[in-house]
Amino acid sequence: MKKIALAGLLAVSLTGCGGSEEPEVLNLYNWSEYMPQEVLDRFTEETGIQVVYTTYDSNEAMYARLKLLDDSAAYDLAVPSTYYVSKMRQEDLLMPIDRSKIDGFDNLDPELVDLDVDPDNKYSVPYLWGTTGLAVDTADVEGEVTAWEDLWDERFEGRVMLTNDMREVFHVGLRVLGYSGNSTNPEEIEAAYEKLTELMPSVRTFNSDAPRMPYLEGETDVGMIWNGEAVMAQDTMPALEYVYPEEGIIAWLDSFVIPKNAKNPEAAHKFINFVLKPEISALISEEIGYATPNLAARDLLPEEVANNRASYPNATDMVNAEFQTDIGDEALQVYAKYWEMLKSGQ
Amino acid sequence: MRSALQQPFKTAVLVLVWGWLLFLVFTPNLLVVGASVMTRDPGSFISLPITLDAYRQLLNPLYLDVFLHSLYMASMTTLVCLVIGYPFAWALSKVPRQRQVLLIFLLIVPFWTNSLVRTYALKLMLATNGLLNNALMSLGLIEEPLKLLYSEGAVIIGLVYLLLPFMILPLYSVFEDLREDLLRASHDLGAGHFATFVHVIVPLTLPGVLAGVMLVLLPAMGLFFVPDILGGSRNLLVGNVIKNQFLDARNWPFGAAASIVLTLTMAFLMFAHRLSKRRIGEEGA
Repeated sequence: MKKIALAGLLAVSLTGCGGSEEPEVLNLYNWSEYMPQEVLDRFTEETGIQVVYTTYDSNEAMYARLKLLDDSAAYDLAVPSTYYVSKMRQEDLLMPIDRSKIDGFDNLDPELVDLDVDPDNKYSVPYLWGTTGLAVDTADVEGEVTAWEDLWDERFEGRVMLTNDMREVFHVGLRVLGYSGNSTNPEEIEAAYEKLTELMPSVRTFNSDAPRMPYLEGETDVGMIWNGEAVMAQDTMPALEYVYPEEGIIAWLDSFVIPKNAKNPEAAHKFINFVLKPEISALISEEIGYATPNLAARDLLPEEVANNRASYPNATDMVNAEFQTDIGDEALQVYAKYWEMLKSGQ
Repeated sequence: MRSALQQPFKTAVLVLVWGWLLFLVFTPNLLVVGASVMTRDPGSFISLPITLDAYRQLLNPLYLDVFLHSLYMASMTTLVCLVIGYPFAWALSKVPRQRQVLLIFLLIVPFWTNSLVRTYALKLMLATNGLLNNALMSLGLIEEPLKLLYSEGAVIIGLVYLLLPFMILPLYSVFEDLREDLLRASHDLGAGHFATFVHVIVPLTLPGVLAGVMLVLLPAMGLFFVPDILGGSRNLLVGNVIKNQFLDARNWPFGAAASIVLTLTMAFLMFAHRLSKRRIGEEGA
């Protein structure tokens, strides 16, 4: 939310000093801390297009804003996760991507294109992929933490952080019980809720704004984190370890999409093209800590980034890994009900 | 018509005020009422037919609990504001005029910064290795850092910090009007400090207390970002439920119904305030 306020300020100051000639603008709507400033600056330098960067901290919030502002065309480019790409595509909210304007598409990992959510990538271009796993502050935590189940351990009372993301938190509950993290079965969801209520006394905070912060602030010692946030946190806190839980990691892929009514689709295509340049993709992965699907970029990465297991897991790490899928509206309501019950301590 | 021409300024102000109320208060609220009686629709948020389902959903004991918890947090906030604000407002009315202006100015200065930014600043102060803990530890007052953040206490501290001026200002205005001769009369008639306070000062400042309570209690239930930031998203207020319903669960009719119930609660309290004010007025007469 802080980021939104800052972006707003930025937007005001940009229009404030705009002068007589109106500069070309790209309205980019992205997750908070998901794009290095350097990339935006270099894009502006190269193309003369100003980037107005607005952020969100959940797919749901992004979807609601895009849908509401559908007609006013407030954004030219957004970055939903896989399951929202399929939802938005089916609801006819997206503009097809003109592949002839994108040069680097063939560099993308064949395993991450042409997915069920968007066959032949008509509407989306993969940006980054990552995982949600366990963060362990090894300086303060004694003993091993290897599984989601370990969070329920009594010794972690008041020291656990969870992401403020309904789907992810329930994913953990469902996996611990041996169910799919994409379950749509109300009984399984209820069981996961029962299990999660036992975890609540241990939970100190929920955070999806910057999940590394509670660890850095010393508020929490163990819990959920996104791998890129873990990599960023390790710069200042080397003791923070990223663990692939035995029950399976939560995996996601975020892709660029152009809203149907975008005012400047030309600039949006240019930006996608720019990001797909191997050196830019490499720069992003290095700074942000998430894995780039751009294989040409991977060769350019410094050794310590390419070999960092947090960003680039090996095959064993990905055993039991599950990508999030669209669960449909009916199941979403069930999740939402139990999420509120969980939060209000019922 | 002639009278309108004679008073162009008055007409302009009236048009402006009514236009403002109509377009920026009445119409949006009407839209919320409309949304609350529609059916939830996964595609376009709301659709026909008209139904009271959203209000029925509100009867779920879960939301009663959230409402009561919210009311509890807001009441604690109000109480703390009153305890701090009452003597503060009294002291403020006693200092020389010129310094009063300066002090009121200082009271209002924080409003120049967005409340969201101020809440983040407060977080930095309350964090385990934040300013407050570091200061207390280097003074040797505590050994272990206090776990202040992400608790009910932190939320109440945040709410008090944001809302205290709304308690002080109405209280200040009643203390300003408090006539010195009434206090002197009370003393002359043999009342001590305590009796004067209970029988003269409290009744005379009661309208200010009530106004302050309303200005603090009602917003306190809706400031959803304070529990999000300082409470670790754990202490839900009614405002959080409304926000979750609109953004996460995409259940607009329910979110709208919840906000209408909150608005009606406010209206009821304001009505009660009016009644009590009239009663106080009659007693005074």
